[in-house]
Amino acid sequence: MLSTSYVGRSLPTTPPVTVTAESVTRFAEALGLADTGLVPPTYLISLTLPAADRLIDDPDFGLDWSRVLHREQRFAYHRELRAGAEVTCTVTVESIKTVAGNDLLALRTEVNDAEGLAAEVWTTLFVGAAEEQSAGGPA
Amino acid sequence: MMQPELEVGATVFSTSFPVERADLARYADASGDHNPIHLDEAAAKAAGLPDVIAHGMYTMGLVSRAILEWLAAAGVDARITEFSARFAKPVVVPATGTSVEVEGKVRKVEGATVEIAVTAVSGGERVLAPARATLAATLSTGLWTTAAGESTGPVNQHQVPHAV
Repeated sequence: MLSTSYVGRSLPTTPPVTVTAESVTRFAEALGLADTGLVPPTYLISLTLPAADRLIDDPDFGLDWSRVLHREQRFAYHRELRAGAEVTCTVTVESIKTVAGNDLLALRTEVNDAEGLAAEVWTTLFVGAAEEQSAGGPA
Repeated sequence: MMQPELEVGATVFSTSFPVERADLARYADASGDHNPIHLDEAAAKAAGLPDVIAHGMYTMGLVSRAILEWLAAAGVDARITEFSARFAKPVVVPATGTSVEVEGKVRKVEGATVEIAVTAVSGGERVLAPARATLAATLSTGLWTTAAGESTGPVNQHQVPHAV
């Protein structure tokens, strides 16, 4: 069970990271996309999930990564992001719903560049009910 | 007048992508998601899965590829402004590989904005439930026209949007 006291809380904004041309090319190539210098539509997940590490690793939150499945994903892009952009991520716990002992954890991440809010990324994780007390960490 | 003529319900692309475990290893490196259920058969089975499964985000990435390739083939200068998917079933990737069939249909047309619903099927199962993408034309002229005007365009197997 996740601690519902975290709902509404935001993690501290990450330090700025540069979207390197190399990482964009590698991501595009892994999906067979033409490399246009534009950030591929799903690229931001590679920044927003690590930005949630502090939450995932927080023992008080109670998330066992070995029981997590990715359930839903949504991106809203407010403008185009190109390689070279410098962005920060701010992760907020939007909701936690418990259904039959399983938790659905909804996270929303604001991705800001120098001009402000560039994109929003929503990730819903399904956290399966623990069958036994487990001390498993991130897989 | 260059207005789109995208009929709601029309299939605008239909394509099949082969998926092999080496693709998942490349995606793991590119995305930083090294969860072993996407790479290692024993780890996947230990987690209660039938075999190695693709990252949900890999499948969603293939959907983005289908959309971008359609736009490029149709000569449409548009960008994705919203993109969502629910991962309904895993894409199981045995040692011999598998494929994901991706099909896009027009769901809504509003001015320069088009919403596409994309289904993805692998191993006979619908793996997404379905994905949605909102596309906004980036130029004020030439919205949703083909690069080749009235011709059938560069991709005969695709239905491409036509100019009025």
